[in-house]
Amino acid sequence: MASSEDRDGLAAEYVLGTLDDAERRDAEALIVADATFRAGVEAWEKRLSPLALALEPVAVPEQLRARVMTAAVGEVLPNATVIDFPARARRWRSVAIAGWAVAAAATGFVLLNPAALPPSQGRFVAVLEAEGPGPAFIASVDIDRGTISVRPVSATVPEGKSHELWALGGGRDKPQSLGVIAADFRIPSSRLGKIDSVALGDTVFAVSLEPEGGSPTGQPTGPVLFTGKLVATE
Amino acid sequence: MNAIAHDPDLELSDLLTQIAGGDRHAFGRLYDLTASRLFAVTRCMLRRPEMAEEALQEAFVRIWQKAGAYDPGQARPMGWLATIARNQAIDLRRRSAEREVESLDDDDGQTYGIMPEAHFSFEMKRLRDCLAVLPEDRQDMVLLAYYQGWSREELAARFSRPVTTIKTLLRRSLAILRECIDGKL
Repeated sequence: MASSEDRDGLAAEYVLGTLDDAERRDAEALIVADATFRAGVEAWEKRLSPLALALEPVAVPEQLRARVMTAAVGEVLPNATVIDFPARARRWRSVAIAGWAVAAAATGFVLLNPAALPPSQGRFVAVLEAEGPGPAFIASVDIDRGTISVRPVSATVPEGKSHELWALGGGRDKPQSLGVIAADFRIPSSRLGKIDSVALGDTVFAVSLEPEGGSPTGQPTGPVLFTGKLVATE
Repeated sequence: MNAIAHDPDLELSDLLTQIAGGDRHAFGRLYDLTASRLFAVTRCMLRRPEMAEEALQEAFVRIWQKAGAYDPGQARPMGWLATIARNQAIDLRRRSAEREVESLDDDDGQTYGIMPEAHFSFEMKRLRDCLAVLPEDRQDMVLLAYYQGWSREELAARFSRPVTTIKTLLRRSLAILRECIDGKL
């Protein structure tokens, strides 16, 4: 995903529907967190949707209407707040800048804004990035499946070093190590401790550069390269 | 005498605004106006009718919840609605074991129908002309993926090419389409 052409290819294949499951999840995370990518997806939807609209209508079974009304309107209060995930992602993204102090401040920012707390949701994503274009890692927390997974997007680790993943905020008084990021990084979500959506919504993921094999002290020793705020997906 | 021409886009946009405010009647009206067109989308992606119905139902639940996010400056309402229906169908197709159950041979008989060319929108005519620039097998790949939700693996099996080649061919084809469509704006 190094060049903008690759990223537009990802957006195009997302809309076409041919990404594999992991890539599709990456794309969904980018739609939430990255306005440029989201605009790319919207442009592709506009290019290809004439195909869908050229289909001959197909008669819908009559009983489906009542089912749809119950499923949609029946479960939702008329005054239910529609949460604008992209808008919130933009706000959070603006506070996700490298550095422990800033990450801690970011956590404080959210705590001071109870309105920004996410609803109870099963899946969270964080797009971890440094200053500069494009994300380095995409992390996702899937409560239903009980997993945390991290996929490198553009990050490369220097010879003799390791990237270590940390969780900050969400009630933690210091960074908590989630382990050294390997090629296929997947750990149980129970490693985060108590899993609830409010605490997750206050959690920042960060990646530091450590000696090979990870920090010898249990706390970050090297520079923090990438950070990202966990954002609830829909 | 009412001289105002009937504009379906405008009506759908208005309905979405009303739905965002919690108007159930507007939601019912939107369903009546669009369900058969959106069902066409989920029906060609999901060959089993009960799954196509489930996808349509989920799509309308999302439309009810997300109507406030519709931006008339960004997309025409029917395209926006079709995108939601398609995404629900893609997700359902992936979640289900349908890909395993369904043999490729069954997919040969395409059950979805395209409207006569005389009824094509301006955008569809342009897209058709741009698709025609691609070699025939690439056109088929794009259309099978878009309409029927075929994965790269399924396309690889059908076209006897490695999966990585399919990815390359799809991306190249899409890049050509983009140049063609955007160039003709």
